[in-house]
Amino acid sequence: MNTHPMKLVTIVCEALARQPLTQLLAETGAHGYTLFTVEGSGTQGRRTAEMEEFANIQVEVIVQPAVAEQLLVRLEREFFPRYAMVAYESDVRVLRREKF
Amino acid sequence: MDFLDAVRANLLSPAVLFFALGIVAALVKSDLKFPEPLYVTLTIYLLVAIGFKGGVAISQAGLGVVWLPALAAIALGVLIPIWSYSILRFAGRLRAVDAAAIAAHYGSVSAVTFIAGTNFLRQINQPYESYTSAFLAVMESPAIIVGILLGRVSLGERGAIWGQATRLALREAVFGRSVLLLVGSLIIGGLCGERGMASVEGFFVTPFQGVLGLFLLEMGMVAARRLEDLKKVGLFLLLFGIGAPIIHGGLGAVAGKLTGLSLGGTTLMAVLAASASYIAAPAAMRLSLPEASPTLYLTSALAITFPFNIAVGIPTFFALARWLHAMP
Repeated sequence: MNTHPMKLVTIVCEALARQPLTQLLAETGAHGYTLFTVEGSGTQGRRTAEMEEFANIQVEVIVQPAVAEQLLVRLEREFFPRYAMVAYESDVRVLRREKF
Repeated sequence: MDFLDAVRANLLSPAVLFFALGIVAALVKSDLKFPEPLYVTLTIYLLVAIGFKGGVAISQAGLGVVWLPALAAIALGVLIPIWSYSILRFAGRLRAVDAAAIAAHYGSVSAVTFIAGTNFLRQINQPYESYTSAFLAVMESPAIIVGILLGRVSLGERGAIWGQATRLALREAVFGRSVLLLVGSLIIGGLCGERGMASVEGFFVTPFQGVLGLFLLEMGMVAARRLEDLKKVGLFLLLFGIGAPIIHGGLGAVAGKLTGLSLGGTTLMAVLAASASYIAAPAAMRLSLPEASPTLYLTSALAITFPFNIAVGIPTFFALARWLHAMP
């Protein structure tokens, strides 16, 4: 089986940041993403998810390493000061490299 | 009926009692929880039902009687954020961007507070103009737009006033789910008229009180979970959260009386002016003024002003409207 190294960037943030975030993904060249509603608790309190204002989303996107770096840099610079958010990257291996 | 009877009638209505149950559920940390899709479903139902009913009422009354009070409603929506901003900024010493975001919330309206107001009038058998829900529809956006402009200017981003974030927020303010559903159902109700009402009455009118009870149960929990944030907002915002609805409600009552609304309609205009948005405004502010603290505006609108209006504000505005209408 032929697998290729890629980066998985995971972003957990407030649901109201969804629109600017998905736009950033498009701008940095991600070819797609997966988004789901999550709940939990962190330094900014409990996110109870009973309405959108208090809900979190998790966005997962698989991209090439250069794109992942650019994405994380822009997240740190433009999003972290404004939105409740955590982001991290991890190594993954994918089939069909051309999809990403 | 005196004022205390009105307060009692309000507090003992199913809707307000369910709201109280929601608060209790959150305070005792019950495992009761509404899934988010149910919350959204109940919101859609309430907005469509109230919009449709308003549209039918407009088709009967004619636009001729609606436009003047509607204009007064829009004027209130524009003016409330301007003086709220000044008070929050200069008396409350809040950051400019926070003052602008909170001002937008208080100028905009809460549909559920309005619906609770109609519910109260029904409890005490006080007739009102059903077309007042049209005022609900036109009051939601102007304050959000004014708030965004105030915030952008205060951030020194005059050049970026019409930047992309603002355009997105304006889109949210005008085409967001609550305005879209309200205006859409108003038009549908207006086109269908009485005959259309007869066909949907069984779904949109008869179960309405029960759905409102369920929704307020949920809102009680949502509001009470914000109570722990009260410490973070400070005394000034606490006082503002109670003082602003009283003053704005008074202005709304005067506007309603001057534009020729009945006692019931005047009460509802006061309720609209007094209410603070917590659906459309937070979403628009998060997009356009992400620098503003959501804790401040959500806590004051949701944990202070909303419960105040539901429990005490509505009967107070009724008493005020009655006093105005008793004057020659």
